[in-house]
Amino acid sequence: MDKRERLIQKIRNIAVKTPTRILEVPEKVEGFGTISYIPPSCSACKKCIEACEVEALELEPSLRLPEYINAVIPEEGFRSKNRESLVSLLQVLKQNGEVQTISVPEGLPGYGSISWSAQKCIACNKCVEACKEDCLSLEKTYDLVSVIGEVEPPPVVEIHDWEPFIICFVCWECSHAAADLAGLMHLHYPTNIRTVRVPCSGAVEPIQIMTALENGVDGVLVTGCLLSECHYGGDDPLAGNFMQADFVKFWQSIFEEIGLGGRLYIDFASAAMGIRFAEIVTEFVERIKNLGPSPVRGKLEVQS
Amino acid sequence: MKKLFLCTCNNTLNKTVDFSKVEKEVAKAFDTIETVDSLCLEDGLTKIKKSVSNGDQVAIGACSSQIIGIPVKEKLKTDLISFVPLREHVVWVHSEDSKSATSKAIVLLTDAALQLDYMEPPIEFNENMIERVLIIGGGIAGLKAASDLQKLRVGVTLLEPPGQNDEKYYEDHFFMSDKETLAQMLKTLHKSLSGVERAQGYVQEIEGQMGSYEITWKDSEDNLTTQDYGAIIIATGTQQYIPNIAKKCRYGKSERVLTLQSLVTRSGKKNAKKGSNILVVTDPDVEMSSAEGSHLLRMTEELASQGNIIFVSHSDIQTDDENLYRRARNSGVIFLRGNVKQVKEHDGGLTCLIENRLESIVREVTVDTLAINELVGPISDTTRLAAALGVECDDNGFIKTRYSKMKPVQTSRRGIFIAGGAKTVMDLSHALVSAQNAVLEAFKVVRSPLKHSGWTPLIDDESCDVCKACITACPNDALRLFEDKVIHIPVHCEFCGICVSACPTRAIEFQSHSKESWFTRLETIAKTHSHLERNKPFTLVYACSECANASIDQAGFTGKSYASGTYVIQFPCAGMVSPIEILKGLVVGAERVIVAHCPPGGCHHQTGDHLSELVVQLTREMLREVGQDPDRVRATYMMAATPEKMQKEVELRG
Repeated sequence: MDKRERLIQKIRNIAVKTPTRILEVPEKVEGFGTISYIPPSCSACKKCIEACEVEALELEPSLRLPEYINAVIPEEGFRSKNRESLVSLLQVLKQNGEVQTISVPEGLPGYGSISWSAQKCIACNKCVEACKEDCLSLEKTYDLVSVIGEVEPPPVVEIHDWEPFIICFVCWECSHAAADLAGLMHLHYPTNIRTVRVPCSGAVEPIQIMTALENGVDGVLVTGCLLSECHYGGDDPLAGNFMQADFVKFWQSIFEEIGLGGRLYIDFASAAMGIRFAEIVTEFVERIKNLGPSPVRGKLEVQS
Repeated sequence: MKKLFLCTCNNTLNKTVDFSKVEKEVAKAFDTIETVDSLCLEDGLTKIKKSVSNGDQVAIGACSSQIIGIPVKEKLKTDLISFVPLREHVVWVHSEDSKSATSKAIVLLTDAALQLDYMEPPIEFNENMIERVLIIGGGIAGLKAASDLQKLRVGVTLLEPPGQNDEKYYEDHFFMSDKETLAQMLKTLHKSLSGVERAQGYVQEIEGQMGSYEITWKDSEDNLTTQDYGAIIIATGTQQYIPNIAKKCRYGKSERVLTLQSLVTRSGKKNAKKGSNILVVTDPDVEMSSAEGSHLLRMTEELASQGNIIFVSHSDIQTDDENLYRRARNSGVIFLRGNVKQVKEHDGGLTCLIENRLESIVREVTVDTLAINELVGPISDTTRLAAALGVECDDNGFIKTRYSKMKPVQTSRRGIFIAGGAKTVMDLSHALVSAQNAVLEAFKVVRSPLKHSGWTPLIDDESCDVCKACITACPNDALRLFEDKVIHIPVHCEFCGICVSACPTRAIEFQSHSKESWFTRLETIAKTHSHLERNKPFTLVYACSECANASIDQAGFTGKSYASGTYVIQFPCAGMVSPIEILKGLVVGAERVIVAHCPPGGCHHQTGDHLSELVVQLTREMLREVGQDPDRVRATYMMAATPEKMQKEVELRG
């Protein structure tokens, strides 16, 4: 199982609700996207398929006539002149009525359309670069619906004497120092968190967050240095905590869709902000207490 | 200057077609028009020649290009002439309706004028051919080919499988002829091969193209040898095998069951036992060739004449020589129709049940000996060799011919030919003839430098997506991928245009037949037609220039008339027709479009008939989806032997 497959498996494991929305992918998040395909100008040259390293594209023996009929031919025409002729001739011949995709007879070269798999795609843009006909483009959306599919809601389990259990990823530069400072200052904050020290908040991988949730954790908190003060990049827009802020935004929207809304949170505190750290933790624990126990626990119950 | 020559064909064509109206209507399309009585005679040809030498673009409205084209081409040596078959396509088929015939003549002549605009001088290719032929296999056919090529002073290498000897060869090839003739022939051939280079080994790989193939073979000590050849002749021959029925007949279990071959060899010896009962068993599941049938008859006759009683259980025995059968019967061979169902062995011999299903009879025969008739198939190395050389095999495992009637010694790859038993089981005379044929074809390749002038596919690297559709479609291996570009190999090209139809981007265009030219021609035909005939519907027939065109000409010769609003447009091969031309035809206003190709499996370029059927299938699907009647488009085959086909097809569609 490769990394992407494992990640999707993890999302399926923690999903308690069927997603319904196509998600926006925040600007800095890479690796997730949607390949949109315009069939009329496609010459079925398979260059995109050859370029794709994760086998997310395939050539189907079909012609998508509805798109042919609705295509608008630009002034300078398609690069593929024979397709252009075919499309414009079909548009002239079009009568009233429904048009459907047709299949290409076996053994006839030069025709076909590309099918794309949302599960396998890692949005590397290589296919778009390889395409000479400009019929592929990468869109900043993520089709969680087709990736996850139907989800059966787990049974609700009654838990007595429940106390939230929260994993807190702290970066070992500022926010770990902030946690230390909170201790030195004898600040009291809830006992529900367990800190996991990571080099930088940007180093927290989604798969780690998923694994925590998969095991019945009620919430995941990520803390890092103050924005634009990351020890690995500073005020560079690609600095660790800037990146992670966008990623967390993306994962928050995914959790929202799969029924775990509000259980992931990111905040920032510098080494001098022990009080702020205690506040962050207190607020998050309070929020999780309001949300109640993680519904994934129901799933775990079923499995055991 | 554009010049039109009209021929009245000895004052006959002008009786149907109104020539003065024609001249008036096409005056705009041509600069000068000249009407001649017999264009095909010396006077007419001289006129054309003069005009061509003046640099005119010439269109000829006369009989079919198959007739007038031949003397014209011979005399003028030019391809830049546009032919309009007024006689076969207009007068002889529309004689009832003079007005429509005149209109059709005008449409076709206007189209011819337009064709001249797009005509480009063909590109000439000169390729250096290596004057050396490799012959694989040293049997009768291989030796004959080597000997003949040597007489023609072409360099030859005879590559034999290691460890071949003549005794084994006689044993395996008994069926070709009687032993004495075969031995005599082999001896003579061996003697005549004094100057031929001989080698032993198995072909490993091949590179290059017709005229300069680079072949590597491996000898029995695993040494590799590589040499260049212009052409290759495969003469690997056949081998015998024991048919499946032998198992049922206790072959190998009982001493009384032998192969027919060994029985004949044994009974030929002096102290052999005479006067025994023998049943010859043939396998009903395998069709016997006539060479094998003749051989079976010869052997049974020999056994019978030695005083044995011979039964033959058979379902079908074929032979070219009826006398063999007669002689076998006269010498006492008893032919029993039916299959051996059961064999029981006891002290007195073998009791066999022979079932004749046709008559529902089961006969019981008790004999001393069973003789299994061995069968003949391709030698076991054939499949490997075919893969190494890149040629195709047929269902029986023999090397496949390109076109069994017209190209009987050509394989699916250009410059590789088959002689003798590599193609099918052959007797001596057939093997020799086929070897001679292969020699002539190979000789043509290596001796005549390819000076083909034809309208070739031109590849535009800029707009090419390197999708390889053309490479897949090309039936002749004439397009290849070289350094990430598609290149054209003229020696392999048959100029069929199938690649053009396959190309999605229009990176391949055929000289003189660009997509634009088709579009303009179709538009002009439609415009001229509606100008002359108002709302009368018209049909376009996209005919391949081989069988379909001959069939339509033949319809003219035999007077099979059809509706006059039918315009035949010639394509080099029906495989060149893509959905675009068909849809364009409908868009300009044609009522129907018929794509006419060669009979199934009979395409002169191997796959054109099949591909055009697929293209039409796809086009019909598209039409159905966009709400048009798919029956407006149809693919059909036409051939010269069925001149009525055109009549039927056009009638079918009004």
